[in-house]
Amino acid sequence: MRSSDLISMSLGSLFKRKIRTCLTILGVVIGIASIVIMVSLGIGLDRQAMEMIAEYGGLTQITVTPGGGGMDMGSRNVGGSDPTAYLLTSKSVKDIASMPHISLVSPILYVDAVIRGGRYERSGQVKAMSLEALKEKYSDFAEGGLPKEGDTLAFIFGNMVKKDFVDYKTKAGFWDTGKMPNIDFMKSPLFTIFDVEAYEEAKNPDSSQSNSGGKEENAEGQLQKKGPPKKYLVPAAGVLKGGEEDYFQYSYDVCCDIEAITPIITKVFRGRPIPGQPTNKNGKPYREIFYNELLVIVDNVDSMEETETAIRQMGYNSYSNTEWVEEERQSARQRQALLGGVGAVSLLVAAIGISNTMLMSIYERTREIGVMKVLGCRLMDIQLLFLCEAGLIGLIGGLIGNLLSFAISFIINTITKATTSVIPGWLALAGIIFSIFVSIFAGYIPSRRAMKLSPLSAIRNE
Amino acid sequence: MPEIKGPSLIKVRDLFKIYKLGEERVAALNGVDLDIEAGEFAAIVGASGSGKSTLLNMLAGLEPPTRGSIEIAGERIEKYSESKLVEFRRRHVGFIFQSYNLMPSLNAVENVALPLVFRGMDKVKREKLAIQTLEKVGLKKYMRHRPTEMSGGQQQRVGIARALVLKPDIIFADEPTGNLDSVTTLEVMKLLREISGNGKNTLCMVTHDDNLSSYADRVIRIKDGKVIENIKIQRG
Ligand SMILES: Nc1ncnc2c1ncn2[C@@H]1O[C@H](COP(=O)(O)OP(=O)(O)OP(=O)(O)O)[C@@H](O)[C@H]1O
Ligand SMILES: [Mg+2]
Repeated sequence: MRSSDLISMSLGSLFKRKIRTCLTILGVVIGIASIVIMVSLGIGLDRQAMEMIAEYGGLTQITVTPGGGGMDMGSRNVGGSDPTAYLLTSKSVKDIASMPHISLVSPILYVDAVIRGGRYERSGQVKAMSLEALKEKYSDFAEGGLPKEGDTLAFIFGNMVKKDFVDYKTKAGFWDTGKMPNIDFMKSPLFTIFDVEAYEEAKNPDSSQSNSGGKEENAEGQLQKKGPPKKYLVPAAGVLKGGEEDYFQYSYDVCCDIEAITPIITKVFRGRPIPGQPTNKNGKPYREIFYNELLVIVDNVDSMEETETAIRQMGYNSYSNTEWVEEERQSARQRQALLGGVGAVSLLVAAIGISNTMLMSIYERTREIGVMKVLGCRLMDIQLLFLCEAGLIGLIGGLIGNLLSFAISFIINTITKATTSVIPGWLALAGIIFSIFVSIFAGYIPSRRAMKLSPLSAIRNE
Repeated sequence: MPEIKGPSLIKVRDLFKIYKLGEERVAALNGVDLDIEAGEFAAIVGASGSGKSTLLNMLAGLEPPTRGSIEIAGERIEKYSESKLVEFRRRHVGFIFQSYNLMPSLNAVENVALPLVFRGMDKVKREKLAIQTLEKVGLKKYMRHRPTEMSGGQQQRVGIARALVLKPDIIFADEPTGNLDSVTTLEVMKLLREISGNGKNTLCMVTHDDNLSSYADRVIRIKDGKVIENIKIQRG
């Protein structure tokens, strides 16, 4: 039998029993739509997670931290004679930069500073890194832009940093009053004090007096009453784009070029340890600056593991999103299997519906099948006719089910205002193929039964 | 008219068909021997329950015998599997039913073309052949009618055309006039006689009506599963 005749005969007998065919197809439509929607939710959630990971440094970024006990020298017990062995220095930067597949290495140094603008001040850390790293991380500016090489020190402010400024007298800021401090970073003059301790001391000597032990010891040793520390005029290079409520990863950052800030802090703390930097056994500072972190960016995802292992072998600690991604992938897989399973149950019900309908129609068509056999229809063709009917139910059900899924997906995304449900092309295609496959499977037993019917049933006169 | 003497197209030897009904065994055929020559119009007659239909079904390869041999067109079909029997029917057999068994959703041409569909013939060719065959049975005018739009006699003519369209070696017919009134019965019998055309086609018809055996070249009388009479009628 020709396949065109096979298909038109199958279509004919489906068409003859319109209502029953429609109901059977409806079952398949619901089954396929629920599978596709469930899987699409899984994909959507997965994609959202991946987007979040990308926001947090992406898949090619490694953060390197000092090995051993870190920057806290008291707890360091590694490195043998040299307690600075696994700290991050300009040599570490060079070493890592010489490894293959590295596209960027930048030191990161956290510098304590008080920034004053008008009546307001912010006491906290400034993140210093190389210009290249700044360029890599901060790209969208509302005002100003990145500092250039050789520029004097200038800060980049995050779009929500203003909230961290407080009135220098009342100590009340946005978080207390709910009122946004009135500072224009780009226009009003900004002063920065790096010797935070001295600044606090000068501001309210009473509170520092009560600071018992340390103060007295200090007084015994070298009693030098200083005036208020030096203020530096550090302008803003730029303010990051975003409204005052548009939080993102860098919203609260204050950062700058590390090349511009290190000469200043070395000058400020000449002969004294820089806060946060390690000191030797005698409490004296080292000549070198030790970085808090290194930012490493690898040129492709596949060399992540290799690079991280190499860095760890150098004695440093490292952190990246690789494990997070792997965890996320795994839970996404589980989630999809669970959601898909829920949908599969409804397709199973639909498949039972197909088997049932086909068996019923075979009993009704016993005579017709017998006549076909007497007239010389091959057994294989009879089976194919029924499989073809089942396959057509699957095809039509799958197509309509997909249309329904796209509609439901659109509604879900409109309601959640996000891409919660994603139906990629492969899912739609897989939905249709799966639908046809399941339907044919459901039609198999009835088709065998039809094939085995006796041709004599056609002869007998009822 | 000159008699065409052919070789035996159908050769049946010692044929048994025993049905088991619980403990009871019913011998529908009880040792049948018969020969039908090519080009003959044979009528199998006998009382109700004598085993006529059982014999015909076995000859047409619709049912396997319990014992004995059946040779048709040189093939021994008694041990054929179901699928081999289908192939046998496809090569040699046309069948006319008592209750026509036309497909209700197909019109006359499509019904006649159905066996050709099963043989993979393309639509244009098979329609042409079906229309030609319908013309032979005098139904060209009704070729686009569906079975429900035709009388019993017309439906049976379509059924005859459907058996004829393949130009089979043998056409089997079980009570082809069983559902028709006497006038129409005569018309259909005349048509069958015409188709037999003195040796052009081999026909094998079952009937319980003795009068109809007068249209045949050979009358085979069956009683209790046995051939009790096998006579050749000289025509012309
Ligand atoms: N499938 C069957 N199972 C059991 N017994 C059967 C079966 N088919 C036929 N018989 C028996 O075999 C015998 C012959 O039946 P068959 O149908 O061949 O008779 P027939 O000569 O065609 O009769 P009629 O003129 O009424 O059609 C009958 O006694 C019938 O009861
Ligand atoms: Mg009978």
